[in-house]
Amino acid sequence: MAVPAALTEDQVYHRCPIEKLDFDSTDTLDDLEQPVGQERMLRALEFGASMQAGGFNLFVLGPSGAGKHELVKRFLSRHAAGLPAPPDWCHVFNFKASDKPRAIRLAPGEGNQFRTDMNDLVAELKTAIPATFESEEYQARIQELQEEVARRQSRGLFEIQEEANQNNIAMLATHSGFTFAPMRNGEVIDPEEYQKFSDDEKALIEAKVEDLQKKLQQAIQQVPRLRKEVRQRIRALNEEMVQLTLGGPIGELREKWRHVPAVVDHLDAVREDVVEHAEVFQDSEDSPPSGLLNRYKVNLLVDNAETRGAPVVYEDLPSHQHLTGQIEHRARQGNLYTDFTLIRPGSLHQANGGYLIVDARRILMQPLAWESLKRILFSGEIRIESLERLYGLATTVSQQPEPIPLSVKVVLLGDRMLYYLLSHYDPDFLDLFKVEADFEDDLERDDNSYQLYARMLATMARAAGLRALDKTGVGRLIEHASRLASDQKKLTAHDRVLKDLLSESDHWAAQAGSGFIEAVHVQQAIDEREYRASRIRERSLEQIQRGVVMIATSGEQVGQVNGLSVLQLGATRFGQPTRITATARPGKGQVVDIEREAKLGGPIHSKAVMILSRFLANRYAPLGQLSLSASLAFEQSYGGVEGDSASVAETCVLLSAITGVPLKQSLAVTGSMNQHGEVQAVGGVNEKIEGFFRVCRQSGEVKGQGALLPASNVEHLMLEESVRVAIRAGDFSIYPIRHIDEAIELMTGLPAGQPDADGQYPEGSFNRRVADRLAAFAEATEAKDENGGTNGAGDGEGKSGD
Amino acid sequence: MTDSTLESVGGRPAGGRVLVLLDGSRVSLSALEAAASIAEHTGAEVHGVFVEEQDLLRSAGYGFAREVGAFSGLSRPLDVVALEQRMQRLAEQTRRTLAGVVGRYGGRYRLNISRGRVVEEVLALAGPEDLLVLGRARWATVPGPLLGSTVRGLVQRSPGRLLLWSQQRAPTRGRIVVFLNDHEQANRRAVSAAAEAAAYSRQPVALLLAEGASVTGQQLSELKQLTGLPESEVQVLTLPASDPVTIARLLRRQQAAQLVLSRECSLFQEPGAEALLSALHLPVTITP
Repeated sequence: MAVPAALTEDQVYHRCPIEKLDFDSTDTLDDLEQPVGQERMLRALEFGASMQAGGFNLFVLGPSGAGKHELVKRFLSRHAAGLPAPPDWCHVFNFKASDKPRAIRLAPGEGNQFRTDMNDLVAELKTAIPATFESEEYQARIQELQEEVARRQSRGLFEIQEEANQNNIAMLATHSGFTFAPMRNGEVIDPEEYQKFSDDEKALIEAKVEDLQKKLQQAIQQVPRLRKEVRQRIRALNEEMVQLTLGGPIGELREKWRHVPAVVDHLDAVREDVVEHAEVFQDSEDSPPSGLLNRYKVNLLVDNAETRGAPVVYEDLPSHQHLTGQIEHRARQGNLYTDFTLIRPGSLHQANGGYLIVDARRILMQPLAWESLKRILFSGEIRIESLERLYGLATTVSQQPEPIPLSVKVVLLGDRMLYYLLSHYDPDFLDLFKVEADFEDDLERDDNSYQLYARMLATMARAAGLRALDKTGVGRLIEHASRLASDQKKLTAHDRVLKDLLSESDHWAAQAGSGFIEAVHVQQAIDEREYRASRIRERSLEQIQRGVVMIATSGEQVGQVNGLSVLQLGATRFGQPTRITATARPGKGQVVDIEREAKLGGPIHSKAVMILSRFLANRYAPLGQLSLSASLAFEQSYGGVEGDSASVAETCVLLSAITGVPLKQSLAVTGSMNQHGEVQAVGGVNEKIEGFFRVCRQSGEVKGQGALLPASNVEHLMLEESVRVAIRAGDFSIYPIRHIDEAIELMTGLPAGQPDADGQYPEGSFNRRVADRLAAFAEATEAKDENGGTNGAGDGEGKSGD
Repeated sequence: MTDSTLESVGGRPAGGRVLVLLDGSRVSLSALEAAASIAEHTGAEVHGVFVEEQDLLRSAGYGFAREVGAFSGLSRPLDVVALEQRMQRLAEQTRRTLAGVVGRYGGRYRLNISRGRVVEEVLALAGPEDLLVLGRARWATVPGPLLGSTVRGLVQRSPGRLLLWSQQRAPTRGRIVVFLNDHEQANRRAVSAAAEAAAYSRQPVALLLAEGASVTGQQLSELKQLTGLPESEVQVLTLPASDPVTIARLLRRQQAAQLVLSRECSLFQEPGAEALLSALHLPVTITP
């Protein structure tokens, strides 16, 4: 098998062709209306925003910092501008059930007008009604009425008194009523004298007294009925007077608002209520209590007078109260008091008829807010209820406003993991959020995309008030965008990273007194950023330099290879070499993954070791038993090991241990391998290669070192300048490998060798050495087995990988 | 008549007493408050008068006597023993109330408990210098426009000044309205009474000339001076007519807080005058 050629500088870095950028600076570029490369997400947004059916709310998913919020808000604002403004909503007092305020829907802008009209009416009530009740006319009529009723009330009593007098019977007032007794000359006859009267006289008198008593009883018992009649007649009079006083203003309002039957009903109820409470208005010394007049006011919950198009509301604190609204209380003399004027709208009210944008993570972190949102979306109406009431924690009487019909699109923003978790665990979720708008992380990089990407950068710079970029600056940013995407054919779409980099570049351009952001400023921003995050990396390099962590970058060694790993710390990641060692001896076909045994290896790593174990068995002992007891270890690794990117290195080192053929320590290896020995792509290749390059550079002159990586990873390479310089000079080589044999040849300098028709590898080839050595292991194992294992043959572990 | 109680709580001597008729009713208690307040300002002694009505005791002596409740209309037996006990209880209660109310105002008081007919007993005690204060009839529990017979009798026969107290709240920023007529001395007596009331109530005074009254400018000026108030606080008005409705309307417009008139006033001769007095619900002072 031919050894692959080392990659050229152009293969490890995809330069931006500056000559293809058709501008001098981004000043001359127009802003982008639509984001680049997000067609799928935009179509989903367009569909979700226009779809009328229920449950078609949106979930916009993408990584944090991708600019979801800004893009969605911009899109929805543009979309909503073409829609009609939603209606106003207000709450008014419910005169039939005072704890259930009514909701009235009005055309946009009419709510404020209605509120003003009712305030004017209240002001008029304050003066006009007392004036009516103080008028001569009213007072005279009340007096006439009272006198008439009083006359009727007393007439009966006086008729009885008159009748008593005519019959010489006195009607006397006691402390609590009346009594009758015979009299003469205006004085009650002494009872002793009365005894002298004849029986007939006495019978006559007593019969008359009894008759009078009955009449008096009847007369007194008429009083409640008369009192009720007075009340009714006073009420009728009050109504008549209030009708006359309010007839004008309320009549005008009824006419004005006749197109809203609910308002007309309310006006009628107000008039009724004024009549009901006429006596309160009659007190000329004290004005009517504000509590009474407040009931005629209007609580304008949603005012869309100034709203153009449908509203787009972003709720940054999506708690239950902020979403659904709340009923506030006022403290008055140690008591909490509320009424319909203290009902406050929530963001659902504000967004009704339009769009509500909410961060999924935030709403899930607010107690019960998610459940409330779902309940409201299911019911299609907003019902304002406090949490304590909703969950039965308080039973005090409070306001229960009439629910308001809801027509809103809720747009949740969140990362993909949240979307998938909600889809999996919340059975309501997919019923309510049927539209997923998935953000692209990366954009295609081709000749057509350069201009668009440049316009995107121009838009960002202008929006953030930064300097314009010149061609070189744009070119460098495009190259870095490929590096951030870890792909020569992609550009990152990560909004926050690009904006931050632009801002930092602008800072360095300002420091340098430049009018434009140039490549040098972008590079400085990248370097500074890397330097700021380099403390751990530097410490790690220092450990290697001082020999605390043992890494060889020259010479050859049996059973030892430089693997490559990536460390992610916060937002930065860097690569570094790790020494992988192997031991091999006769045994029962077992490859011990020390990492796994020590519970430091993850499942993917274990899988990779098993694969290489099967690869060995299949390749070198297809018909017999693999008599091998081997072990693999990541030296000086005290954390966990995960991933399969070391499986090529592990295979090489294991084969070296089996054969005793040394491996070149100047080469580091990364790559995953399948059971047929094919090398597969891995992640983080840039960081890994740069990490090894730094170690080489630190340990002396970079001369002849290099790295092996899967050929399918070549297009992911966007290596930094220093590595490229070394490659250009031929001091550092990167070999793309497709098969394990290529790695073997590069690492050992021996031909790997292909099996002939009998499965025999050619003499002198590396694979022949492996096969021979394993055969020797098998013989040794058999000999030990025949001896009954008295010599302690095998590793005694008794476990078999086969 | 027996003078059962004689108590004094200091204070300065005065020409006349404030006699207040007490019968245990709410309206008499209200009249007592008014009397104590006046006595505080004039330094007079409050003389409570409690009369155990002879006719009532006699009527209770009849085996068939029953009392019909003024509010409920229910009838129940009435006997002497129970009535005697009730009267004693009321007398005792009246004594305590009098001591409490007058004590609060810091004046002197005396309580007279007697048995007989109310009008006669009161007239026997009252002198021309005394002010007699009484509430409206006990019949107030039953709504009716007319005054009780006791009140009617005392209004007509009282030798001195009489204040017919009303329990109803009068406007606090109102005026004291004085009815004037042709009788010069009567006018002076009425204005003097109004001046006294104005002095402690700090209310302005309105002089109301009856229709066709021949009061000269000189007399009117003297009467104004007699009020003891600055010219600006004395208003003179002429009644367009002397019917009760016109008077009631004018009093309302003036926000009358108290009415003062002489027994000689022509108003008393008008038909329906009694009904007017009763329906006004104002404190009314009647001077000789």
